[in-house]
Amino acid sequence: MKYDGKRAIWSEYQKEIADDNYFYVRSCVRQNFFPGSEVTFLRIMKQILGKDIYEHPCHTTCSGIGYHGDVVPVETTMTVVARQFALMTEAGYKNYLPSCITSFGLYTEILDTWHHFPEVEERVRRQLKKATGREFEIPSNLAHASDVIYKFRKEIAAKARYKLINKNTGAPLKVVDHIGCHYAKMFPSKGVGGAEYPYVLAGMIEEWGGEVVDYPERRHCCGFGFRQYLIQANRGFSVACSKEKFESMKPFKPDMIITNCPGCPMFLDRWQYVINEMEGKRYGQNGEGIPVFTYEEVAGLVLGFDPWDLGLQMHQTDCEPILDKIGIEYSPEDKYNTGKNRKKQEVNTLIHA
Amino acid sequence: MGKLYDNLLDDIRFEEGLNACMNCGVCTAICPAAEFYCYDPRRIVDIVQSQNDDEIVNLLKSEEIWYCGECMSCKTRCPRGNAPGLIIMALRGLSQELGYFVESEKGRQQLVIKRIIGEWILNTGYCLYLDGISTAMHPEQGPVWKWVQENKAELLERLGGNYKGDGPGILRKIPQEALEELRRIFEVTGGIGRYEKIESFSRKKAREMDLDLDPEGIDNEYIRHIYTTNNGTHNR
Amino acid sequence: MPDLMNKHVLVIGGGVAGLEAAGRLSKAGIQVTLVEMKEATGGHVVDWYKLFPDRKDSMEVKKYLDELVSADNIHILTGTTVSEFHKNHSHFNILTNKGKELLADAVVVATGFDLFNSSRKEEYGYGIYDNVITSADLEKMFRLGKITMADGSVPKKVGMVHCVGSRDEKVGNLYCSKLCCVTAVKQAIEIKEHISDSKVFCFYMDMRMGGAHYEELYREAQEEWGVTFIRGKVSEASESIDHKIIVKVEDTLAGRPLKMELDLLVLMAGMEMSAGGKSMAELGNFKRGENRFFESSDHHFGSNTGNIEGVFYAGTCTAPMNITETISHARSAVAEVTEYLKPKGN
Repeated sequence: MKYDGKRAIWSEYQKEIADDNYFYVRSCVRQNFFPGSEVTFLRIMKQILGKDIYEHPCHTTCSGIGYHGDVVPVETTMTVVARQFALMTEAGYKNYLPSCITSFGLYTEILDTWHHFPEVEERVRRQLKKATGREFEIPSNLAHASDVIYKFRKEIAAKARYKLINKNTGAPLKVVDHIGCHYAKMFPSKGVGGAEYPYVLAGMIEEWGGEVVDYPERRHCCGFGFRQYLIQANRGFSVACSKEKFESMKPFKPDMIITNCPGCPMFLDRWQYVINEMEGKRYGQNGEGIPVFTYEEVAGLVLGFDPWDLGLQMHQTDCEPILDKIGIEYSPEDKYNTGKNRKKQEVNTLIHA
Repeated sequence: MGKLYDNLLDDIRFEEGLNACMNCGVCTAICPAAEFYCYDPRRIVDIVQSQNDDEIVNLLKSEEIWYCGECMSCKTRCPRGNAPGLIIMALRGLSQELGYFVESEKGRQQLVIKRIIGEWILNTGYCLYLDGISTAMHPEQGPVWKWVQENKAELLERLGGNYKGDGPGILRKIPQEALEELRRIFEVTGGIGRYEKIESFSRKKAREMDLDLDPEGIDNEYIRHIYTTNNGTHNR
Repeated sequence: MPDLMNKHVLVIGGGVAGLEAAGRLSKAGIQVTLVEMKEATGGHVVDWYKLFPDRKDSMEVKKYLDELVSADNIHILTGTTVSEFHKNHSHFNILTNKGKELLADAVVVATGFDLFNSSRKEEYGYGIYDNVITSADLEKMFRLGKITMADGSVPKKVGMVHCVGSRDEKVGNLYCSKLCCVTAVKQAIEIKEHISDSKVFCFYMDMRMGGAHYEELYREAQEEWGVTFIRGKVSEASESIDHKIIVKVEDTLAGRPLKMELDLLVLMAGMEMSAGGKSMAELGNFKRGENRFFESSDHHFGSNTGNIEGVFYAGTCTAPMNITETISHARSAVAEVTEYLKPKGN
């Protein structure tokens, strides 16, 4: 593989990412499944990078899962999005920062639609005014939270306590980067590095000492598929997609997976557990699974945050193999402690050997 | 031009999603649903662009239009700038508006999505809210999720959330005024109308199928049936 | 024609079209200066090995062209480009990059084409995955008589991807490059000739076999050589752990998606307006069409002329065309030029 070919493509897809004064909107999936990641994001932005980042208490879901579940009509979703923009305008911000990839894709899609069909934008303005009395401005900048961490990856590296290397061998960890479909597949120019060789996570991995792994099914969807996961009768599709990725990446012996979408880490994590339960198969080395992380979790780890502050205890596939490889100090007894309740708890996870 | 085709043209995603298809198959080649299901997005776009209403009705009633996972991998590659995924979304919308969705096993599942995601949006302001994601409906979430559910308040506090609290923060309580604005948006833009259609067509179907369906909630015969039934003919 | 002996025509571009035009102009008694930006003339034809449809060595064509331009009234300046270009009434003042000043009564633009840069079709991995090459790379292998994978081993399973850089909104080229289908068929046969136990797959959207003997070549590829044709555009190529190439494509006639592992993937790169042509367009204010080639005054009877009187076009700077058509187009340009140069009132 000629790495320079990828570098050439990465340099073609430069994307404007605002550098401060962000209007932050949360992710439904992440608040439920990766709350530690959103906490860590704000902690890094405010305390490590000293940025101004604001969350409006009246903001809601963008309705993306309802939209892609096909129960919410496009007119409704566009108006809900318009309301979010109105809150941004009301709060005096211009840089819109969603935490969710489906949201990011949705906002990008809607702004593109309004750009090509100004009459649709007009209609949405009227609808929003009629329903809520609100008015909005189009954001000057729309970037995903992973774009921002990418933008400040060097600053994070400068303050890092750890690197993504194997402390025993000194070799860089082999990291699979999984990009959410709605990040760049719809509008490649809106993704750092484009749709085929996205660089938003690869850049973080390289900056923090790791080695990016390319494998045949790298671009394959993790299989969320919205209704394909939500309904039990369809769920086999979701597992099958993730399984195909695992089978494809296994020969390359990755140490960990990092993703930038809310759903993807949840699926890549849980489906390893399910496949192990159903078939006894595991995809890591030494009978382990392959730990899956959000980019905030990885940023937090290299910065030296406590793994249980990051929320890693909420993963079904154990993260300890990576923590040990990197040499991160952590307290196993504290894993399932929830602060007040200091009683030691046991939970069945995908145990490593 | 058929009347149904005109209806499709009213959907902005259809306008954006279909220029003209030359049947190159690049979409089906990359489609995850085409790998695992008896599904071919190229074929669907070809049928739609024929503008034949009879064929389009068949699609609206079929299982086929419900296999897509809306990943949009097709949109990245199409040399004509089409997006089968967007066309599918337009077809699904029309299928629900006209009631054809209840004629297929996969289509009938829409009622579940409406009653969980759809109603959570209006009742909580989230698409998903912790309390409703049960291990019974989602055993694949594993033992860790059971632990999370049993310890959620303490866990969220420990991690720095604002579970059911006021002001900003993770899983905060979204203010009532905001929820009312959302509801009004849904009313003005046809969102409530869509929900009602999904309900009324499903009620009729449940009667036909002789399955109980309560006006609310997910713990009833029809919902359990559509949530779990897979007739085994969908896959390659 | 004695009227024309005092006339001087500048030919810009020393490929097939430029050499043919220069040669025919000189035979008409006209003084010709030909400028060519590379260090040698010949353009693309010297990069190919055996030409379709009759499989002659491209050097025969080069030899014919070299003889054609061997007359005394042709001056060939290689390593030379146009730096300034001005029209003054019925004359053209030109300054070359080497500081030479030229005065011409007419200009023939024959700046040719560039092959589509296949690394722009990112999902095929050209320039990234070791065993993805272009049709041009393969021709070089044919001339050396050695077709190998990146590690030197002999490929047994080869895929040819049609329409790379053509008919594709995603790379900004809506047009068909016309010659790639027949190139794929020819090269498929040549691979089979070299590696008799190889399997060759052509992944096509349509089989555009519009030239003389092209369709017969397609039939030969199937009947005599067992080349398999699969109707489907390749969606993506990726690399396995042993550097094989995995392609995803739909067999649209069977209605089934398929994944295939290949040893070597060959991309049929299309034709684009050349970089040299783009600079000339800017220097001389020559209008370009939507497909970015020069815009002709008329599709049917004005393909050699453009928006500037006295400037004539020859060859692939106007549209994709094969060598036969290029030579004919250059000859028709010369007919237009000699007509133009005749004293007015005759």
